[in-house]
Amino acid sequence: MSELAVEMRNVWKVYPDGTIALRGVDFSVRKGEIHGLLGENGAGKTTLMRILYGEIRPSRGEIRVFGRKVSFRGPWDAVKNGIGMVYQHFSLIPSFTVLENLYLSLTSIKKGISIDYVRKLANEIMSKVGFEVPLDAKVEGLAIGVQQRVEILKTLMRNAKILILDEPTSVLTPIEVEELFKTLIRLKRLGITIIFISHKLKEVKRITDRVTVLRKGRVVGVVDTREVNEADLAKMMVGREVFLRLKKAPISPKEPILVVEDLWVKDDRGLDAVRGISLTLKKGEILGIAGIQGNGQRELAEAIAGLRPVIRGRILLENEDITNLPPYLRYRKGLSYIPDSRSVGLILDLNVISNSILTKLRDFVGKGTTILWSKAREFAGSLTRRFNVVVESLNTPVKYLSGGNQQKLMVGREVAVLPKVIVASEPTHGLDVSATEYIRSLLIKLREMGVAILLISSDLDEILQLSDRIAVIYEGKIMAIGKPQDFTLEKLGLLMGGVKVE
Amino acid sequence: MNKLSSLLRGWRLSEYVVIAVEVCGSIALGIGIATLLLYTLGFDPGKGITLLLGGGFTDLDYLLSRATFIMMTGLAFSIPLMAGLFNIGGEGQMYLGGLVSLLTAIYTGNLFLALIAGGIAGLTLGLFIAVLRVYRGVNEVISSIMLNWTLYYLTIYLVTNTFYDPLAPHESIKVPQSARLGLISIGDFKLHIIFPISLVFILLAYFVLYHTKIGFEIRASGLAPKAAKYAGLNPERAMIYAMCLGGFFGGIAGSLNVLGFTYYIDTLLTTMYGMGFDGIGVALMGRGHPIGIVFSSVFFSMLIIGGQSMQMVLNAPKEVADALSGIIIMALALPYVYRMALSYLRARRMIAHGDH
Repeated sequence: MSELAVEMRNVWKVYPDGTIALRGVDFSVRKGEIHGLLGENGAGKTTLMRILYGEIRPSRGEIRVFGRKVSFRGPWDAVKNGIGMVYQHFSLIPSFTVLENLYLSLTSIKKGISIDYVRKLANEIMSKVGFEVPLDAKVEGLAIGVQQRVEILKTLMRNAKILILDEPTSVLTPIEVEELFKTLIRLKRLGITIIFISHKLKEVKRITDRVTVLRKGRVVGVVDTREVNEADLAKMMVGREVFLRLKKAPISPKEPILVVEDLWVKDDRGLDAVRGISLTLKKGEILGIAGIQGNGQRELAEAIAGLRPVIRGRILLENEDITNLPPYLRYRKGLSYIPDSRSVGLILDLNVISNSILTKLRDFVGKGTTILWSKAREFAGSLTRRFNVVVESLNTPVKYLSGGNQQKLMVGREVAVLPKVIVASEPTHGLDVSATEYIRSLLIKLREMGVAILLISSDLDEILQLSDRIAVIYEGKIMAIGKPQDFTLEKLGLLMGGVKVE
Repeated sequence: MNKLSSLLRGWRLSEYVVIAVEVCGSIALGIGIATLLLYTLGFDPGKGITLLLGGGFTDLDYLLSRATFIMMTGLAFSIPLMAGLFNIGGEGQMYLGGLVSLLTAIYTGNLFLALIAGGIAGLTLGLFIAVLRVYRGVNEVISSIMLNWTLYYLTIYLVTNTFYDPLAPHESIKVPQSARLGLISIGDFKLHIIFPISLVFILLAYFVLYHTKIGFEIRASGLAPKAAKYAGLNPERAMIYAMCLGGFFGGIAGSLNVLGFTYYIDTLLTTMYGMGFDGIGVALMGRGHPIGIVFSSVFFSMLIIGGQSMQMVLNAPKEVADALSGIIIMALALPYVYRMALSYLRARRMIAHGDH
């Protein structure tokens, strides 16, 4: 057995709010290998790597780097020990040149170096690794792939022996991915150890030597990449215990109510996030959108709700074009949107009453523009009773409610006045079992009342339990659409990882 | 269940007790440090503190009148802040409100018209700053600070060159009797009527902020712009509303000053200068809430007048008086710091023991 570059033993991480991100993870990387770290959202990949990079401290556990026990107080300690990390979002100053950026990052660990020295060192390393970066170009003018190379160069100049890449291909074009892989292989030949975080099966299979698979904060397997295929990896990544079946009456929906035609939407960075999605949602059905977070789900939901401009395509609600309507008019026409984050769906500093009327404000405005607080209070009271929201008083700011109660309030508000279409994003995210069951059965009840639900979730259990049809989204496109029985877990996992199945 | 809820109610009550203890404790601490400072500087600490805290109460009318202006400039700062804007321009809005009120009073002799004109002038200025921010991306801090100076010199120029009083050239023409806000007497006690009027404006602000859709939009947008947008509200429109309201009250501060207290503007603006900035402190200390601002403005006014009497009686330099006021105000902020530290430590402890 070859020498270990990284050895993490029984690592736990509990966040101050009580979330357990890691539950005793053992993780080891051999010197000079490319090691894949695979897992769904929330599996703990990023947390584990942030611990290794000294950004956050483990609650418990031991870390060894090149056999030496370490305890990092911050990334600077990790850098001193030869660890470098390249984030998904780069930490470069756009208006500086490449050289200035390199100089900046180097001065923080080596005092009193000259810019000529930095140039010499950069050229030396570039010729050794065999890639080119224009040192005197401004960063903002460079392609994303080149910027990433600058980040890699930066870590190498700081003498990194272990390179952590967090979802490095998520921002790249296919050609840039090829370039990156070439670079990685050359780095490996130079003896540099690489940790490759990803959820893309194909890439993990292609580039890594070994893979550690995480699921819900635990290691579910460490394998030699040669000995497994993509399907095995998918199974490990999503595989799970038998899930509960909720009773669901069969339906045969016909009448389309929400139609999305060739929709294109950009994300906050201005990149295409939704790339030509077409969907038809019928009355009384639940259409599940399965996918790993960050594949355009949020942008799709926000475009339907009217919170994000549509670049191309149309959205029809009951045959009426609503593509350019402001959100509140869509809500009035019977569209309801449950956002994926409670900090968007609720104003945490305001009380239960204010939050109960948040999206229905116009129904609670009387003469002039006065708010009818007594009517609002009544409505809030009936909401909390109907949806079992436990509150001490209706005047309590919702930030003092538990996550489950917040969620019930938010979901309750959106479904209280029976909508025609609900777009529900991660409706049970971060909830305990009972709250989860409650919301899921509520969605099924609504479906039986003829409400059409677009369920966007990265939780496969949820998708499989609730959906009448499933669409898998990957990089802003629908990979496949069909009935739940058409998909096996393995097939879903492959599709979510971007692998086309027959 | 019943037991639980009564227990919770009891806990609530004790929370108020804790707050009261904290406030008293921090005032005591502030006074303690102030005493020490006075002692080291060689002043009589007992006399100094008595003057600082009690000086304002020798003339209750003056205390409350002074509070009036910073109460209004406090609103001028706190309302935009609710929508997420820093209106540093309360000063300029006040000058403009005072100037426009004066001119309207001189030309029309109508009190009501003069008062409203001052408010509208401030509102227009606020609108201007908000429009620059929302549609042109001009930072409101920069534009409002620059406008402060513009209006400072504009007002001085007009008062010195055009509207000066020939009999007293360092003052402007006086507000005609018909447009003056006078005094009311309650028994022997005489009070400038501007103080009760400012309370009416406070109620107006409270009503708009907490009982209208505009107020809801302002508060929601400031607390969580994303959530407000999701709710179908418009955070940018909220900024404009908030700056208009803030500007209005800033203008009213000037109007009340000119129409109800000084009846003229002097050529150095001494009767208004700095009150716009005092409003920032008042707003922050009153936690941005209109009712809180009533109390904090009186408190501020007490410290300012107390500081002045300390200067006069003890012959202490102005800096010492200001330092003492500063110490007491900072001490009042201590509970925040203390609570923040506490919750931080609690979070740390949870991580340290947090393994299940």
